[in-house]
Amino acid sequence: MLVNVPGPWSPLLGRLALSEIPYTNPILAPLFIVIVLAGIVLIAGVTYYGKWGYLWKEWFTTVDHKKLGIMYIILGLIMLFRGFIDGLMMRTQQALGDGPGDNGMKVMGAIHGYLAPFHFGQIYSAHGLIMILLAATPLLVGLMNIIVPLQIGARDMAYPYLNALGLWITTAAVFLIMISLFVGDFSHNGWFGYAPIFELAYSPGVGVDYWIWTLELVALGTTLGSINFLATVVKMRAPGMTWGRLPVFTWTAVSANIIALTSFPCLQVALALVGADRYLGTHFFTAGFGGNLMLYTNLFWLWGHPEVYFVILPAFGMLSEVIPAFSEKPIFGYITMVLASFAIAGVSWIVWLHHFFTMGMGPYVSTEFSIATMLVGIPTGVKVFNWAFTLYRGRLTFSAAMLWSIGALFLLLIGGLTGMMLAIPAINYMVHNSVFVVAHFHMMLLCIVYAVFSAIIFWFPKIYGFKLNEAWGKIMFWLFSAGTFLVFFPMFMLGFMGETRRLDWPFNPQWGPWFDVQEIGIFVYILSVLAFLWMLYVSIRDRHANRVHTADAWGTSRSLEWLTDTPVPFYNFAMVPHINALDEVAWRREHGFMDKKPDHFKAIHMPNNTPIALYIGALTFLVGFGLTWRVWWLTLASLILAVILMIYRSNKGDPGYIIPAEKMEEMDRESKARMLSDDSHQVPHGGGFSGGTVTAYTALDRDASGSLTPPNDSRHL
Amino acid sequence: MHAQDKVVDPNEVVLWSDDYEGHDVISTRTFGFWMYVLSDGMLFATLFAAYGVLSYSHSYYTGPTPAQFVAPWYTFIQTMALFLSVLAYGFAMTALKSGSKAGVVNGIIASILLGGVFLGLNIHDVLRMISIGVTPETSGGLSAFYALTQVHAAHIFIGLIWMLVMLYQIMRQGFTEDTVGRLISLRMFWQFQAVMWVFIYIFVYLWGYMS
Amino acid sequence: MATNRNYITGFVVSSLLMLAATILVDGHILPSFGLLLAIIGCAGIAIIAQVYFLLHIDISEHNIWNTVALVMFIPLFIITIGLTWWMFSQLYMRTMPMIPGMPGMH
Repeated sequence: MLVNVPGPWSPLLGRLALSEIPYTNPILAPLFIVIVLAGIVLIAGVTYYGKWGYLWKEWFTTVDHKKLGIMYIILGLIMLFRGFIDGLMMRTQQALGDGPGDNGMKVMGAIHGYLAPFHFGQIYSAHGLIMILLAATPLLVGLMNIIVPLQIGARDMAYPYLNALGLWITTAAVFLIMISLFVGDFSHNGWFGYAPIFELAYSPGVGVDYWIWTLELVALGTTLGSINFLATVVKMRAPGMTWGRLPVFTWTAVSANIIALTSFPCLQVALALVGADRYLGTHFFTAGFGGNLMLYTNLFWLWGHPEVYFVILPAFGMLSEVIPAFSEKPIFGYITMVLASFAIAGVSWIVWLHHFFTMGMGPYVSTEFSIATMLVGIPTGVKVFNWAFTLYRGRLTFSAAMLWSIGALFLLLIGGLTGMMLAIPAINYMVHNSVFVVAHFHMMLLCIVYAVFSAIIFWFPKIYGFKLNEAWGKIMFWLFSAGTFLVFFPMFMLGFMGETRRLDWPFNPQWGPWFDVQEIGIFVYILSVLAFLWMLYVSIRDRHANRVHTADAWGTSRSLEWLTDTPVPFYNFAMVPHINALDEVAWRREHGFMDKKPDHFKAIHMPNNTPIALYIGALTFLVGFGLTWRVWWLTLASLILAVILMIYRSNKGDPGYIIPAEKMEEMDRESKARMLSDDSHQVPHGGGFSGGTVTAYTALDRDASGSLTPPNDSRHL
Repeated sequence: MHAQDKVVDPNEVVLWSDDYEGHDVISTRTFGFWMYVLSDGMLFATLFAAYGVLSYSHSYYTGPTPAQFVAPWYTFIQTMALFLSVLAYGFAMTALKSGSKAGVVNGIIASILLGGVFLGLNIHDVLRMISIGVTPETSGGLSAFYALTQVHAAHIFIGLIWMLVMLYQIMRQGFTEDTVGRLISLRMFWQFQAVMWVFIYIFVYLWGYMS
Repeated sequence: MATNRNYITGFVVSSLLMLAATILVDGHILPSFGLLLAIIGCAGIAIIAQVYFLLHIDISEHNIWNTVALVMFIPLFIITIGLTWWMFSQLYMRTMPMIPGMPGMH
């Protein structure tokens, strides 16, 4: 059944061998040393400050949606950084490699530029995969995780344990792609793969296998998360939170997760069939023996198109929260916003062929998909107009978050219009596989990045209790926008001039000046990254001065999450809020009810922490690693162990624990007192969750060093 | 949409609620699991799409086509085994409604045995096919044939393991909120596998035999 | 609702339909295209019976969300398989002139 792999294979180590570690590569070898050293410093630091218990109890075993969301965002930001480095390397290679002849750096082993072609191939493949699935998706999922339960008045997601599982499986995928830097190499075939080059005969290394299993793990994690979001919004809303009062961000989260739930299985099948071809010798996508190369492209983009709407809809939702807050107006056209979200989700399902118009399905098929693609511009246009009308005659505050949101609108405009151009097969045939397409989708993806930065600045005070530095947020915005303009404006032109994608040697010297402009753009991006890091440093340094003392951090916020204390306690709402209107917080503020407290409290039921999700996540990493290197005993053992852990967890169950009403009243009083206090001792260390803040297991016993058991007089079920 | 127009009486307004209304743990769990089952259906749909593309005459290259190796009546017996297994599980669920532990346990055991028969028949069939040279590596069409049928069989296998776990949990814990929710989820999973099997039987086995 | 009657009805209806389909195919009772339509009909009715009697997909308040979810997925199943089939039959028609464009005409 199993194919014979080209190259050595042993039962103990599979295809692993010392030769697979690139210790002669002039870039990777030093990088490895740097990472090892950084890791040692990190571990030493954590040990020295004695924080392992804290990390284990509060973060690694948590099922709290807010902390899981924060970990998702941290994961996403780290991968955004790595993807950015990949992009930087690509830009530099093209800038250096441009021109005729053999102009490469021999010392690096390159014929053109400074990267050998097989290294460049891995970089653009990793860049695409990381940015879409391991940076953008975790950032969005993280933000949805934090905000959606708060916006519907719930205390957690419907399945807290499953939530944790999704995070750790995604982390396993991240580890898998990161380890591909140093053990073996990554796929050279682009982020979405081409048949038949990904077949074993043409890609005999492990790169494509790394790619397959990383994607499979991410798909699994995201599918589990989508089930969670949908069940939460359907079943866990607070009383009075009718569908007509749901905030727009939650609506877009619902439509996005419907897309995720319905489309990720297609990806899992497409990749599994590639795996079958590579591992079992089947003929799904081979060039002979009855296989069909184009079937792969079809199955992949069946997922691929709904996926891009899965990432953009939450971004639209974030814009719909930030813009009304800083225009001091409700969102214009609430109903059409909601309908447009679902129209986009629905139409996104019938457009996938526009990714391969040139494959030859013929005019009838191309026409249907072309018209459907253009149709999707209508609900998107409705949204853009609604945002514009929200801004119109509003009392605008051009805070950093607002700048990012408005910038996102401009990028959406350019990306959307070029998308409409690409929807027309006649144009598409001209620019297919050119960098015009690359520039188009980077406009869209950067729209998402802008929306994410806007949302992070907007919601940061709610979670951490202090605002990020406004000035540096704005500096970062302008630098980032300048970089975007400098990198992608030339790229549109280069696309029209005929530059194709993925060139390690852009051979036409006439393109040279444009590559230099793009390289300047990259340096501006580097400055914006530095501005980001400096913003974080300054914000944390000045957190006492930037403390937020009210539930409504910006003064003009509108939706339910701004009813919670700042920072949000682990139970979210001490008493379940009763919803009276759309934009509940705006309604309460206008009627003067923001200071009204509940007159009595009830006991609440919270889930326990568990390490099982972390263990299963780690085991899925081992399964992926074992499959990649064909270490069968490792794969089988990890799989069986993971199943055993799942069954063990199922048998044990989790009754949770109950916090009695008197304790709830006490914790609520403390949380509100902390919110109002100016005393710097009261400010939580490092933000909203460490040390003295109200956390599940250290809430009431400040004298105790923090035990593993819940508060003393809470009852275990 | 906005209640600002109505005059709001501060004494009458309800700002806080004692509890979430209708927070039914079992229906939350089973709804979530049903959504997973549907996404699983999407997995099968994609496999069917692949099968649709790979079931032309040229997809079988020079190798055997389903008309040459499918045994419809043998597969019909498999079908009956699966349907009977689903029926047995249905009896377990009605026993659950009346709270009869013995009824539930017996129903599940019968379901496991019949599901095991299905799986055994499937494995026997696969061995027979391999012995006559019908393997997934022969052609694209056969790869698709095997993918659909064996992915379904893998689901059945997982379902059987799950049933064994449920037997253990029912014996140990009885009918708690958790175990009842899982039994209902398992019912949906098992019945959905029967629905998938109808499609596989008709479109893969019978249609393949016809062509 | 979970009654023995429902489960038995679902079992009987789908089993009889599968039996009918097997007899039709094994006996080559109808010409090729008609046979295909007949067994598709058997499958369709069997599915509806199973979904209603076994899976309790109805519009009662207890089951409504499950029904909504299924109704949302069904068009996607049809699109996935149907559009793929259309795309590739068009492709084969234009790029492989020796092969008839209709599947099933092996």
